[in-house]
Amino acid sequence: MSRLPARIDAEPETVGRDLGRLVLTIVELLRQLMERQAIRRVEAGDLPEETVERLGLGLMRLEEAMDELREYFGLRPEDLNIDLGPLGNLLPPPER
Amino acid sequence: MTLVGTDDDLALVDLLDRLLAGGVVVTGDVTISLAGVDLVQISLRALISSVATLVDK
Amino acid sequence: MADSLVYLYAVGDAAFGDAVPPGLIGVGEAPVRMIVEGRLAAVVSTVDPLHFSEDALQRNLEDLTWLAATARAHHAVVDAIWQHRPVAPLRLATVYLDDDNVRAVLRANEAAFAGALDRIRGAREWGVKAIVHPQPDADLDPTLADATLGPGAAYLQHKRKARDRAARVQQDVQDAAADLHRTLSAAAAASHLYPPQDPQLSGHREHMVLNAAYLVEESAAGAFTDVVKAWQSPHVDVELTGPWVPYSFATLEES
Repeated sequence: MSRLPARIDAEPETVGRDLGRLVLTIVELLRQLMERQAIRRVEAGDLPEETVERLGLGLMRLEEAMDELREYFGLRPEDLNIDLGPLGNLLPPPER
Repeated sequence: MTLVGTDDDLALVDLLDRLLAGGVVVTGDVTISLAGVDLVQISLRALISSVATLVDK
Repeated sequence: MADSLVYLYAVGDAAFGDAVPPGLIGVGEAPVRMIVEGRLAAVVSTVDPLHFSEDALQRNLEDLTWLAATARAHHAVVDAIWQHRPVAPLRLATVYLDDDNVRAVLRANEAAFAGALDRIRGAREWGVKAIVHPQPDADLDPTLADATLGPGAAYLQHKRKARDRAARVQQDVQDAAADLHRTLSAAAAASHLYPPQDPQLSGHREHMVLNAAYLVEESAAGAFTDVVKAWQSPHVDVELTGPWVPYSFATLEES
C-alpha cells in the first residue's frame, strides 16, 4: 500500500489560517459528536423538558459560534475535513 | 494533492488501484511545514480512536 | 548490492515468440525484453538497484512523482504488449535478482500463470465507479416543527430529522450500489471490488460507494457497456472506464 502523508504547507502569511483550519476541524468533530449524543439522550426520553431545552440552546449557540469562527478564518463548511485514509473522513458526509 | 486535472491524471488514480496491492491512501498523519521546513507531525488516528469510542457508549 | 535487477511486468505464452515492439521503453527508462522458459514468456526490463532494491522501492512507492511516472511506464509496456498477444500483468514493482531467478519463478508457477492466461485471454476489463449523487439542500419546513417546543428543543428536533433523513439517503445509496454491482456481475465473466478511492486523489467531492472491475469477453463488450449505460438511479452517478488490460483478474500466486 502506498501511504502519502497529508501536508499542511504553511507560509508565514497563511499559517494562522492553516492551523486554524486544523483546530476547527477537530472542534467541529467534537461538536457533531456532542450533538449526536444529545439527540440520542433526548430520544431515549429520560431527560426532563427543561434539560432538553437547555441542551438544545447550548448546542444551537455552539453551532452559531462555530459558524462565526469558520467565517473569521475564511473557511467553507467543506474545508473542515481531513481524510484519515483507512479510517475514512474525519467528519461524516455533510447532512443536508 | 488531487490527481485530477487532465484526462491522464484522472486515469492515474484508477491505474494505481490496479497496480498497487491495497491501493493508495493518504495517511491520517499530518505534517505541518512552515516556509518549506517540516516542523510538526501529528497523528490524528490516536485522537479519533479515543473520541470515537466515547460516542459508541 | 547487485549490479542490476530484473523488473517483471507480465507473463505471456511462449508460443507468440519473444519479439517486443521495437523501441519500447519501460520503467526507469529501461528497454524491454522477453525471457522464454518452457510454455511461458516473461516481459522484463533490467533495472538499477539504486531505484529498485527493496529499500529503494519502499521509499519510492511513497513518492507520488516517482509512483506516477513508474505506474505510467509500467502500464505503457503492458498495454503495448497486449496489442500483440495476451499477457497476465503483474502489479507494480515485482523485482528479481536476475534472469535465472525469473526462469525459476516461471517454472515453479507454470500452472498458475497458464491458468491466469486462460482466464483473461480474449477478455478485457471494465472499471465501474458509483459516486453519491449530490443531494439538494432540503429545507426542512420550519412550520412542521412542534409549536409547543422551545427553541432549544426545536433545534434538537430539527437536527434529529436531518440525521434521520441522511441515514435514509445513505441506505438508498448503498442499495443502489449493491444493485448496480449485482446487475453488472451478472453481465460479466468475473468481478473484483476495490476500496473506494481516496477523495483527495480522485477529486470527487461526493463519496464513492462502488469501485469495481468487471471481466468481459471482447465479443460481449458492447452488450456490457450497454447495460452500464442503461442502468439509472437518482441516488448515484456512474462512471465507466476501459477497456483495460485485465489487471484485476490476473492474480498470480508467486513463491
